[in-house]
Amino acid sequence: MDYDVKKEARRQYLHYFRILFPVLGVMVVLLAVALAVSSRRGNGEAPQERVYDYADVLTDQEEESLRELIQKTEKKVHCDIVLVTIREPMEGEEAIRSNPNLRHTDWELNMRDRADDFYDENLFGYNKVHGNGVLLLDNWYEGQAGSHLCTTGSVYNRFGDWEIDQVLDEVYTRVEAGNVADAYSAYVRYVGRIMRRGISGGMSALAALVISTLAAVIFVLTKMKGEIGSNTVTENTYVAEGSLEMKEQKDEFLRKNVTSVKIESSSGGGGSHGGGGGGHVSHSGVSHGGGSRRR
Amino acid sequence: MIFKCKNCGGNVIYSPEKKGMYCPYCGSSDSQERTMEECDMETCPNCGGQIPVEEHTSAIICPYCDHSIILNPRVEGEFTPQKIIPFQYSRDMVKNLLREKFKKNIFAPTDFLSDARLNSMTGEYVPFWMYDYRTGCDYQGEGTRVRVWSSGNRRYTETSYYNVARSMEVQYQNIPADASVRLPDAVMDLMEPYQYGGLVDFKPEYMSGFQGEKYNMNWDMVESRARTKMEGSARRLLQNSLGGYSSLRTLRQSVNVLDTKAGYNLLPVWKYIYQYDGQTYPFFVNGQTGKVVGKIPISRNKVLAYGLTLWLCLLGISWILIYLVGGLF
Repeated sequence: MDYDVKKEARRQYLHYFRILFPVLGVMVVLLAVALAVSSRRGNGEAPQERVYDYADVLTDQEEESLRELIQKTEKKVHCDIVLVTIREPMEGEEAIRSNPNLRHTDWELNMRDRADDFYDENLFGYNKVHGNGVLLLDNWYEGQAGSHLCTTGSVYNRFGDWEIDQVLDEVYTRVEAGNVADAYSAYVRYVGRIMRRGISGGMSALAALVISTLAAVIFVLTKMKGEIGSNTVTENTYVAEGSLEMKEQKDEFLRKNVTSVKIESSSGGGGSHGGGGGGHVSHSGVSHGGGSRRR
Repeated sequence: MIFKCKNCGGNVIYSPEKKGMYCPYCGSSDSQERTMEECDMETCPNCGGQIPVEEHTSAIICPYCDHSIILNPRVEGEFTPQKIIPFQYSRDMVKNLLREKFKKNIFAPTDFLSDARLNSMTGEYVPFWMYDYRTGCDYQGEGTRVRVWSSGNRRYTETSYYNVARSMEVQYQNIPADASVRLPDAVMDLMEPYQYGGLVDFKPEYMSGFQGEKYNMNWDMVESRARTKMEGSARRLLQNSLGGYSSLRTLRQSVNVLDTKAGYNLLPVWKYIYQYDGQTYPFFVNGQTGKVVGKIPISRNKVLAYGLTLWLCLLGISWILIYLVGGLF
């Protein structure tokens, strides 16, 4: 029989990974299925419109280019991206009087409810109704201007307080500088950027990388052990049985001394961070995240 | 001498499995007949082929006819061993042993445990001097015992001093030191211990089918190795008798040999020389107990292939998991 080293090496290799390879295969299939499902738009009930310029701060041309940008980004990150501009009072008795749906006198809570309700009532969500998506509500009412970002589904999972602040910052600085259309497209671009990076899962992906690397290194090191055969001779190996004879054994007490010291006594604490910034449940029962900033 | 089969004329060898003489040609047991032709130490008395006899060789396998030749002058007279431990492990048993032992060593080169390579193993009877000692050990020192307790807000430490003395006598039997120049001392030391219950009176029959050497050096030339082993043991025995002290200060310690005796015996060793990547990896297996000594070769390609594969699989699986759990559902 001819001994084929290469063939034997291949056989050993496949045999060794006979569990890991199928597991990886199953995971890849699951991933493929998940990707196929998630990339398909699973919600036919939401409107086609994404840009609701009720405050009329954008030109038709600006609106159009924003729609195009949103459409392109949505395809990449698989979440609905909505922009709503309004010019409505959101604070005090004035707010409740002008809009019976508002339940608070506080600007921030009202902005939040207004954004959540808009998202929920219009049935937004990429994968399903009330599914993955993000909505920026920008209020231009004199003296109560500001924006609120409402996140849902995958965007909620990915966006922590820090990311939400970043979006609000991008919008705030540009609006202050007078570049309104640029502010909104910056919002869309930022969401696109984060959500694409978000696919790898940030911290946990890094942790998985570190753990996998460590595991592989430890695996290699433990298998590198080469020296075989240790010393198994003990002090009794060559002693003739029963031949050990103690002729003298003396443990004679000589003296003792005692010293004493005073007893002294001595304590510490720690902290943690992730996605899910500003989590709450809207009054139609959908989980959103978000944050606001006044101008 | 060659042991030939009365029934078929084949070469009868010692079989570790059957624990007796066996003819692999016709299957007879104990059918050996000693041929008495003189061997000129250069040619095989069976086929006349050239045999590579070296200075100390006492038994050799003819490379042409595979017959086992035992060189009479080197197992007789002053070179007659007193005792021998016959091989307990046959070639096949050692093969299985090595395969089992190195099954998990996935980085070893692929052909490391292949039949072709393992068949090159040789079974050798290694000459050993074995020493008996009657040893006297004395110790004198100062020991302390410490007791600590607390009372109120003070901690008390009491140190007691003792005068410690020991004197004992111990009998050592058969401390081995190999008398072969070719075999590395450190490796032969690791082959120990042999089970001396297996020592039997020497008969040349046990050497049939194996290689062997007569002692290369006289008993007094390797005695220091045995004495070092004995002294190490004696010191540890003394230490073992000095329990119960927090600290010990040795004032005087001595190990004296009261009586010595040396004997010449043959012990079985399997040798597997594996060549890989321009380097030699010798493996030694105790032919009686199956203890293995050696350094396993590592194939760099295998380390890379297995390490990278594991790393990529783990990374792939964990990233997909994170994506599936966190990203979508």
